[in-house]
Amino acid sequence: MSKRQLAMVMDLNKCIGCQTCTVACKTQWTNRNGREYMYWNNVETYPGTGYPKNWMDLGGGFDAAGDLQPGVIPNLEADYGVPWDYNYDALAGGASFEPNVEPTWGPNWDEDEGDGVFPQDNYFFYLPRICNHCTNPGCLSACPRDAIFKREEDGVVLVDLDRCQGYRYCIAGCPYKKIYFNPKISKSEKCILCFPRVEQGLPPACAQQCVGRIRFVGFLDDEESQVYKLVHKYKVALGLRSDYGTQPNVYYVPPTESPVKFDANGKIIEGSDRIPVEELEKLFGPEVHDAIATLKAEMKKRKETGESELMDLLIAYQHADMFRLDNTYYQNVAKEKGLNPLAPVDTRYIAGKYTKTAHRINFTHDAAAAAGGHH
Amino acid sequence: MKTIATTLLSAVLASGSLWGADAAVTALKVNSDLSTVSYASDLWKKATFSSVLLYPQTTIRMNDKKANAMNAHNKAKKAMVAALYNQENIVFMIRWPDSTVNVQKGMSTTSYADGFAVQFAGNFSDPNALPYIGMGSEGRPVVLHLQKVAKDIYEPNGNGDVAHQVNRNQTDLFGKELAAFDKKVASLGSSDYERSFVSEGFRSMTEIKDGSNHSYARIHYLQNKKSWEGTLSRALKDDYVNLNAGAIPVAFAVWDGEKMGRDGLKHLSAWVSVKLQGMQGGEALIKALDTKLTGDPKAGKAAVAANGCVGCHQIEDSDAPNLMGPSLRNVGGYSTAGYLKESLLKPSAAIVPGYNRNAHSAYPWYTLDKGVRVSTMTDFSWLDEKTQNDIVAYLQTLKAEVE
Repeated sequence: MSKRQLAMVMDLNKCIGCQTCTVACKTQWTNRNGREYMYWNNVETYPGTGYPKNWMDLGGGFDAAGDLQPGVIPNLEADYGVPWDYNYDALAGGASFEPNVEPTWGPNWDEDEGDGVFPQDNYFFYLPRICNHCTNPGCLSACPRDAIFKREEDGVVLVDLDRCQGYRYCIAGCPYKKIYFNPKISKSEKCILCFPRVEQGLPPACAQQCVGRIRFVGFLDDEESQVYKLVHKYKVALGLRSDYGTQPNVYYVPPTESPVKFDANGKIIEGSDRIPVEELEKLFGPEVHDAIATLKAEMKKRKETGESELMDLLIAYQHADMFRLDNTYYQNVAKEKGLNPLAPVDTRYIAGKYTKTAHRINFTHDAAAAAGGHH
Repeated sequence: MKTIATTLLSAVLASGSLWGADAAVTALKVNSDLSTVSYASDLWKKATFSSVLLYPQTTIRMNDKKANAMNAHNKAKKAMVAALYNQENIVFMIRWPDSTVNVQKGMSTTSYADGFAVQFAGNFSDPNALPYIGMGSEGRPVVLHLQKVAKDIYEPNGNGDVAHQVNRNQTDLFGKELAAFDKKVASLGSSDYERSFVSEGFRSMTEIKDGSNHSYARIHYLQNKKSWEGTLSRALKDDYVNLNAGAIPVAFAVWDGEKMGRDGLKHLSAWVSVKLQGMQGGEALIKALDTKLTGDPKAGKAAVAANGCVGCHQIEDSDAPNLMGPSLRNVGGYSTAGYLKESLLKPSAAIVPGYNRNAHSAYPWYTLDKGVRVSTMTDFSWLDEKTQNDIVAYLQTLKAEVE
């Protein structure tokens, strides 16, 4: 466990599946150099196959005894989908509109299909997913090269690309399949929680760009943060598939608001709820019942009295309140460690623990200066 | 390369029989430059090939469900190994059977490459206390040279620079620059996957990136023999190892991409003795690596059962897999008698780190005492010597049959 933990809360009642987060992430990190197929952030329709296909059936995570479970590495063509593009340039010359790869599968192939019978009881909701920056990461435990580390300062889980040898056991070990193999460089890559932004006091791109303002970001030990209030004070934000045993640090406010069902004659079934609570229990555990009860009660309270701190939080008035990041904290960490530049990094191997002194690369400010400049 | 037959010392002198035991492999001394010898060199026509058996790694089970199923019933592979050396360098050739050619494909998340590795001990002065065969052990480092079959790897400067980024979606704006960039990649991108590492046990493996390893590896498929032929040339002495000795311990490993081989999913040999023809010494090492202990395997099996070893170790294929300690299913294939005996008497001398301690937190293979690793295995030095030797003799029989 790290000293502090950054966390994100996503309010599923407000996610409209617009994929702005997905695009924000993709343009920032994954539209190039072997990452084209990766979605560090994706929004999938639930129920649905998800991305990669049927990720919940692919193993990984821990059993009740704490043993890492074997998993399966998804296939690019069958499970992720080969990214395709169109011949826009050739259209001006009169060519017909053609994809460069025959699309056979991709993320959101079954978008908005959901489950149930229209119009009686069909339903779906959107499930945005990023790396959960777990407290007990399956990817980290699976790595035979100690190439994955969890930063002490904020619990962000990162891959040390210098050590990574592209074995892909991390992908088998992650129950969320949120770590990916980059075939161009033969190394694993994943969501970095936009740590270069976070260190400057900015939220991750996906959270900043979210038009529904569904994402809250902050430190879990910061009692003033809305993340803390949603997770610990009101306990309305829950981890996804906590039964995998990785202790995820992305939390979800379960979708409580859905239209009523119709009977066979098209009549409203009073008091009915389209989203089966069993599905929510499967995703968020038995705590979901209390979370739903709290949300309903606070909503009622707000309607009746006009007062509810929880509802005010979930309305998400100000970005400044939703994102409580502290770049002074990071600057102090860097100063304490004598690090320059800012980014606190994995120090287990960087000092060349197993290589000879002469071969060490030193990233401390003084050593860089002594060596006559940058390493 | 021109053959320089006259420089080859007569094979008559090559015999190790002077010492009662033959080295597993004999390195012939030559005067030719060996720094960049590949499989194509004529020098190999003069070399003597010896067989080396490679056993499936079963000490730990990886967490890849599909790969585990594919590799559940692996047999041992028989490789042929030859070696040459001169004043500066030593070069090995290993030829091993593999019916398919596997390369890490350009755009695939589920393809794996064939390859081989050669391992050297940082210190082999005590032949009964060599580094642990699986990538060394704490305080007993090894150097590994790895060669995998590779297509062009996208590394703009050929230096493993993975940070260099170009946004390919901006072709309209940057078409010219992109074309120039692609050209640069083509000219500088590395098509070779050769790496050298230093390691003190599982997970500690660290790449030597400053060029101080002075090695040269090549790999080549023999279609008619359905075999790979790999060569590795390296300096006799560098910062990590000094191979100027009468005999040296060397170990080999091969990977089969068809069976999703990588990392621990491999076949490996035990420490193999390599006699440097014409160099003095090495008798003790050859004796230690190539003589069998005169124990009674049957009595050993009974002693193993009586002492409850199966409580922590999977011993035979029929035993249930066990997370408590190393599986011994193939331990006879890739361990020397010296290592087995040392582990029995002094379990903490060469610790097998095992799984990431978080992956199976209830089954630590070692504890930490003021930063020093202490094996969780009981010390069996109280057994009488005959029983110890019987157990070692039994453990040496634990290995898969040869395919």
